[in-house]
Amino acid sequence: MREITYVKAFTESLMQLMAEDENVLVIGEDVAHYGGVFHAFDGLLKTYGEKRVIDTPISEMGFIGMGVGAAARGLRPVCDLMFFDFIGVAMDQLYNQAAKLKFMFGGDVSVPLTLTTAGGAGLSAGPQHSQSLEAWLAHVPGLKVALPSSPYDVKGLMVAAVRDDNPTVVVLNKRMLGSKGPVPEEIYEIPLGQANVLRSGRDATVIAVGRMVPEAMTAAGELAREGAEVEVIDVRTVQPLDSATILASIRRTNRALVVHEAVTFGGIGAEIAAQIQEEAFDYLDAPVLRLGAPFAPVPFSPVLERAYIPDSNRIVAGVQRLLERTGG
Amino acid sequence: MTEPAEQDPMSGLPPDVIHDLHRRMVRIRLFEEEAGKLMEAGKMPGFLHLYVGQEAVAAGVMTTLRTDDVITSTHRGHGHAVAKGADLRYMYAELFGKQTGYCKGRGGSMHINDLSIGMLGANGIVGGGIPHAVGAALAAVYKGQDSVAVPFFGDGATNIGAFHESANLAAVMGLPVVFVCENNGYAEFTPQDRHMLIKDVADRAAAYGMPAEIVDGMDAVAVYLAARRLVERARAGEGPSMLEAKTYRFYDHQGVKGLRIPYRTQEEIDSWKQRDAITSLEERMISSGIAGQPDLEKVWSDTSEEIAAAIQFAEDSPDPDPAHLLDNVYTV
Amino acid sequence: MAVEVLIPKLGLTMEYGLIEEWLVAPGTPVKPGDPLLRLATDKVDVEVEAEGSGLFHPAVESGAELPPGALIGWLLEAGEQPPGAAGEALPGAASSAPAGTPAAGPAKAPTGRLFSSPNARRVARERGVDITQLNGTGPGGRIITADVLDATAAPQMPQQTVQQTTPAARPRPASPLVRRHATAAGVDLAAVTGTGPGGKVLRSDVAAAVRPAPATQASTQQASTPQSVIPLTGMRGVIATRMHASLQEMAQLTLGTEATMDAAVALRAQLKEQWKQAPTITDLVVRAAALSLREHPRLNASVHDHAIHVQPEINVGLAVALEEGLMVPVLKRADQLPLSAMAAETRRLAQAARTGKLTLPELEGGTFTVSTLGSFGIDFFTPVITPGQVAILGVGRLRDSVRWEESTPLKTQVLTLSITFDHRAVDGAPAAEYLRSVASRLTNPLTLLA
Repeated sequence: MREITYVKAFTESLMQLMAEDENVLVIGEDVAHYGGVFHAFDGLLKTYGEKRVIDTPISEMGFIGMGVGAAARGLRPVCDLMFFDFIGVAMDQLYNQAAKLKFMFGGDVSVPLTLTTAGGAGLSAGPQHSQSLEAWLAHVPGLKVALPSSPYDVKGLMVAAVRDDNPTVVVLNKRMLGSKGPVPEEIYEIPLGQANVLRSGRDATVIAVGRMVPEAMTAAGELAREGAEVEVIDVRTVQPLDSATILASIRRTNRALVVHEAVTFGGIGAEIAAQIQEEAFDYLDAPVLRLGAPFAPVPFSPVLERAYIPDSNRIVAGVQRLLERTGG
Repeated sequence: MTEPAEQDPMSGLPPDVIHDLHRRMVRIRLFEEEAGKLMEAGKMPGFLHLYVGQEAVAAGVMTTLRTDDVITSTHRGHGHAVAKGADLRYMYAELFGKQTGYCKGRGGSMHINDLSIGMLGANGIVGGGIPHAVGAALAAVYKGQDSVAVPFFGDGATNIGAFHESANLAAVMGLPVVFVCENNGYAEFTPQDRHMLIKDVADRAAAYGMPAEIVDGMDAVAVYLAARRLVERARAGEGPSMLEAKTYRFYDHQGVKGLRIPYRTQEEIDSWKQRDAITSLEERMISSGIAGQPDLEKVWSDTSEEIAAAIQFAEDSPDPDPAHLLDNVYTV
Repeated sequence: MAVEVLIPKLGLTMEYGLIEEWLVAPGTPVKPGDPLLRLATDKVDVEVEAEGSGLFHPAVESGAELPPGALIGWLLEAGEQPPGAAGEALPGAASSAPAGTPAAGPAKAPTGRLFSSPNARRVARERGVDITQLNGTGPGGRIITADVLDATAAPQMPQQTVQQTTPAARPRPASPLVRRHATAAGVDLAAVTGTGPGGKVLRSDVAAAVRPAPATQASTQQASTPQSVIPLTGMRGVIATRMHASLQEMAQLTLGTEATMDAAVALRAQLKEQWKQAPTITDLVVRAAALSLREHPRLNASVHDHAIHVQPEINVGLAVALEEGLMVPVLKRADQLPLSAMAAETRRLAQAARTGKLTLPELEGGTFTVSTLGSFGIDFFTPVITPGQVAILGVGRLRDSVRWEESTPLKTQVLTLSITFDHRAVDGAPAAEYLRSVASRLTNPLTLLA
């Protein structure tokens, strides 16, 4: 199978979705003529024209709200939020409007809006351009949130998100944009709410989000050399969360480590850990560990940023803590 | 019924339109009065923001719109819904929180909606619905339709980011939106001269390159004519505009007597009450011979009956079932 | 100078002792030889005597279960205080060990809290392992699943035939919160029946134990007070644990066959006239079983360490029913005991069992078991294999039956033999052959006299 980059897989998903459904349109800053600051929208304007690929002023609240209205009227807008960090200026339209219209209006209005955005640290982009805020969104009933971890997943999850009739946020990770992987040429869908067990193991389960998934796989390889077989689960979506897959794994391995780029305190790892201890208490051989960023904004200096973001070494150390025995 | 005159000599409009304006205003007035009584008597849960006094704006604009033209509304949105043609039974049912309400009891007063008549919902967030109207206009253009979108909002809302972003966006994209500002002189409890330096909200339209009109919001006919001009302009593809209607709400921000903290003088309230839009239209209708007193009274009594029946319907309706609490959180 | 009173080690395989009862009150002056307490192990009940002189001062309450060597009291001089302030750790229990030092004993903090992971507790429950006796190798001395699994791979006793000794009743499974509730409510957890999963004691169970249940007609109501509560401690606890463990670990199934007993009955009647102590029918069965084991050694074995260990000697345990419980004294080298000697021995052992006078060696070393329920009117049953063995022979009651000679019905006396065997070690066919061999010996009992 041919290999393409994460960002190309994203573009391809839109290219194919817009061909499949004439109601799909793209709205955002610098998406049309510039092709998007991450080149994620390259070629779309040329293929589909200005009517369907729209450059907006810097008005996230305005154009995401516009997306809500258009979605309520039968279109399938893909609104692009350039950086995940900018979600604050548009938050009302996302959590008070998009997420709630279906419920608040008694069910007659659907909002098939997709919000694409780029999150994550590691590029020295500074505190206001590096955040991972998926836990905020996962907390809102009515929203769906996907964090693809590979080119294959980007395309599949994007297709599912755009076809889904609910407001769905797809968070790309900036550091993974150039990573390559096998991607089928035809259009395909990965169901939202279905975690991916990337690696089977019996000694511990590592539940990873987004960019931490490849880090977890690297860690698993290292741990295997030490004789520890780690099961790696990619949540794929934090809302809906595939708790069943996670719990089934814990019941087999008895040890869990959740890893995400987001700040540990109040991150999605906290929800997962709470669910594990509640539903699989009797199967735990060790406390559930969470590995995330420290409780500070993302620092700019590369030295600090490296210390800030979790990586495979820390995942290895975390799993070792789970497995430790003294004199056994 | 007296012989209908050919036209109202003061506006050149056909009598049907005048009657239409009148009926819509009476409906709004009675709906709100009854709702206010029920709420302040503790018979309705939550709180209401009553439209009494501003009827001419809703009636004037809605009378010029088609069913497929879309409006968005505010926390003070009963008037818009009624004028757009909402079913009074389902409106009262929603205010009572019943299963038969427009939102199945899940939304309440501030989220009344009826897409079948082009009412894309009222919003509890100030300015929250304005971008939705822009989106509706986008959808219309996208699909090659000539419908128009009309967001309603107050003077206070023109200070919030969502208004500015929406106005600029609509202007830059040339969308068929008529931004209708109901300037009742207060943003909640703060008078206009304390929340903006300009006197006319319409001045803001120029900042976005949009034309605007100012109209007497207590004159239903004037509102109608101005709205018609701007709506037809939009429908013809000439882009968005703003209509500022100077009006006044007779009751408090919330409720009838509300919190009973006086922030408006009785003289002020009385002076606006003397300009009651329904009273003044009725006088014109009689003096121009379009209708006789009995005709007008019949409208009031017919509407009263309809409202009483609607309230009865709502009171008789079932409560929502808690077992269905999770319904419609997501579209399945 | 305080003289320590310790739990004595009774027998090589003793893992703990239960203090059933203190026989002297605190402060009583005692001298060497005076009985201090009654101690129960999984095998015997004994009186433990003072080994010194002094004023007796207990360190633990009756009902405590502790390993051999554990400190349970002192003999003090007049005016002497017992050593150690409140909260001193019992010897053999680990206080919070310095990092890196493995806990010397069960992972108990000075307050007596056991640190073990939920999964370790679950697995220990399922396997009948007493988690309080384990060393924890997890962080901070926490007992983790691996520690439980290590413990269930039973260590070998070189000289002895291996017996899988499972400890007696372990603490009731209950979450820390429930334990606190029980303590606060003054409820003895051991007396509470757990209605949670796996017998776990829930808060509602503790609450029910505190409040007398309202008298209702529905005696099947879960919330009603049981008519009597018999703790699973002592022998009852041992039986509970061992039966459960046996069925959990082995792949047991039972075959049955009828043995024609006319000749055996006749032989017995003859011997009764000639010998002082005539063999019982059971004796005949035991002899037959022992002799047949010579020809079928695979049924005289033990399974552990992923292997079948065929035992060098045939030591047949004979299950003796008591008022509450049962005991299994062992006939050593039963195949070599002539019938007359066996008859005398079984009689002696049964008597000793009933009067509580069995010694430890008489209870250890069994490689095969025979169990009879004939005197209780049972025709056939499915006995449970004694842990550490691979087969058990069940004997039903002697009863009248009919056999056919051509078309003629003839009266006969039969009994049903059943063998429960561990299919991990033995297949159906060999088990069946063994059973038929026993039946055949009983049908031609003169072979038993050899």
